[in-house]
Amino acid sequence: MAKLTRESFDTLVHQLSEKRAESNWIKVGMSTCGIAAGAEDVLNTLTEEAKKRKIEIVIKRCGCQGMCSVEPLVEVHVPGLPDVVYGKVDKACAVKILEEHVMAKKLVNDHIYELRTKR
Amino acid sequence: MEKKTVFIKDTNRIVQAGKDFDTHFLSYVREVGLEEVVEVTRVADIGIYDQGVVVKIMPGDIQYAQVKDTDIKRIVDETLKKGNVIQELVCTKEPKQLRVVLRNCGVIDPDSIEEYIASGGYQGIKKILSGMTPEQVIEELKVSGLRGRGGAGFPTWLKWKLTREAQGDQKYIICNGDEGDPGAYMDRSVLEGDPHSVIEGLMTAGFAIGATKGFFYIRAEYPLAVERIEKAIAKAYDYGLLGNNILGSSFSFDVDIRLGAGAFVCGEETALIASIEGKRGTPRPRPPFPSVKGLWDKPTAINNVETLANIPVIMTRGGAWFAGIGTEKSKGTKVFALTGKVKNSGLVEVPMGITLREIIYDIGGGLISDKDIKAVQTGGPSGGVIPKEYLDTPVDYENLQKLGSIMGSGGMIVMDEDDCMVDIAKFYLGFCVDESCGKCVPCRIGGYQLLRILNRISQATGTLEDVDKMKKIALAMQKASLCALGQTAANPVVSTIKYFEEEYKDHIVNKKCRSHKCTHLLNYSIMQDKCKRCRICVIHCPANAITGDKEKGFYVDQKICAKCGKCFEVCRFGAILKE
Repeated sequence: MAKLTRESFDTLVHQLSEKRAESNWIKVGMSTCGIAAGAEDVLNTLTEEAKKRKIEIVIKRCGCQGMCSVEPLVEVHVPGLPDVVYGKVDKACAVKILEEHVMAKKLVNDHIYELRTKR
Repeated sequence: MEKKTVFIKDTNRIVQAGKDFDTHFLSYVREVGLEEVVEVTRVADIGIYDQGVVVKIMPGDIQYAQVKDTDIKRIVDETLKKGNVIQELVCTKEPKQLRVVLRNCGVIDPDSIEEYIASGGYQGIKKILSGMTPEQVIEELKVSGLRGRGGAGFPTWLKWKLTREAQGDQKYIICNGDEGDPGAYMDRSVLEGDPHSVIEGLMTAGFAIGATKGFFYIRAEYPLAVERIEKAIAKAYDYGLLGNNILGSSFSFDVDIRLGAGAFVCGEETALIASIEGKRGTPRPRPPFPSVKGLWDKPTAINNVETLANIPVIMTRGGAWFAGIGTEKSKGTKVFALTGKVKNSGLVEVPMGITLREIIYDIGGGLISDKDIKAVQTGGPSGGVIPKEYLDTPVDYENLQKLGSIMGSGGMIVMDEDDCMVDIAKFYLGFCVDESCGKCVPCRIGGYQLLRILNRISQATGTLEDVDKMKKIALAMQKASLCALGQTAANPVVSTIKYFEEEYKDHIVNKKCRSHKCTHLLNYSIMQDKCKRCRICVIHCPANAITGDKEKGFYVDQKICAKCGKCFEVCRFGAILKE
């Protein structure tokens, strides 16, 4: 990576802003609180099961969202549905998220802890 | 009709059996043939508490509370079909949280510098390196009114100004990540969730004070935080955001990590400096302050993780914007680690000036048990307890201090009737006694003696004079200890005596612990009318203190009873009385 200058920094910012429009993604909270609650298993399950079902979705990691008592947290962004944060996600729930939310475009009951109205 | 999503949540703690509001709702939606365009979802939390059934409709963000079964028809007919809002059901709740420090936590991938840059990262340092002078940076910070988030609340701009003005060929900036209060983990989450913001804050500080070298001092118990910061630093070097001639300017800045071995006292700045120098982590008298004579005797500024994470936002959005948040003397937001007997424990970031009640009930969702709230502990072992009468106090540095507690680094522990104040004081004091470095007498001996007295009180051998004696020792520690650890170690004791002296007297005079926490003051006995003579307590009692037979009944011999509570646990008929 070439060292950035002020000019090339601006170019990079511009490039990134254009690149950032991923149509669908899943984020898993992977801080100490999330990992302690089993976020690694959830992340692996999501990745493997998505591969098995040939679902094209970006699965990313992020930090702590703050709701530590309901970790592991998984945020899902799929066009046509509101962005939601699922809490207390285990392996079974991770599969549900893929099958119901991502594939069938239907929200999963009883696991939503936050609705993201605005970004 | 546009596709709509309906979210339903019964927010009362006890969900009434057989209610099943969402089934009713769904069947009516089917009845009117809207099931193709309306999706009904039960959610686990909607951010509103004790407001009956809450229904939220998206898009449109319409929110109804106290909804009854009889309202279903009009919600579907009016709101879903026609888009009309039913005013009398509307429940608007402004979000209480404001995310400044945690702006990227849980949003970006902490290992990706590009995601940080894409979300506005490193814009602050770019702005500075495009022509601001260090004096202008300090001035901007003065306008913002930012005060140190590590606990004491010293104005950050002044710390930087003093370090800038100090004479020295080399200056240092240190990020204090030695977070050690029981129950507090704000700094860990920021380091793990948004490491680049702390690096950018550190660079800005380095630029302002004239330092070319910065250190992260992070406790070794935070391996993930250390790993993420390491990766972030390497990435920043890669991109030329650290090292020589950053962004093509004349500013050069290097960063290194030092690990703390987990001594609480190393969060104190002079002890922290000694620890980085490779010496034993003990504090030294101030002055000279680190801003004059710090790391390797060079002028040094030490800022807390959360303080530094605020800096990039202040630089990009301006000091005036930041000063618009908060109270007159405490600006901006504060991150709290809300724990204890609260329903939604976790990290909350709120503007200064919010009340404790709002934090606990509106964000925390109230208490986890059906017991009454007793007190809130803030500031960890250096803080104090705030009784429930003061829950409506706006939270800022001055107000908490007036109440005998401190803002501290941001631990907030909610306590209910089951928490014994003597026991709480003992816990925090025990922590400080363990962590005292032993260098100065007031802290080393004062703390130990205080703990002995507290132990006596909780073991039913305390006297009323003990309370006065504790006040005296506490005063001596506050006045004469070398560093903040000793000066504040007695705060939990002082504040519990201040607000809960009755409870201390109860322990001493009546030999009673009303929260049933102090085991020595407990009495176990068998209620004969409830006892079914099953002998399970007799079998389980490790001290063989329960005697008797099936005809006459069983009794606990108080002289032998070890107060272990085993009988209470195993009895299936609730026949053991604990008092």
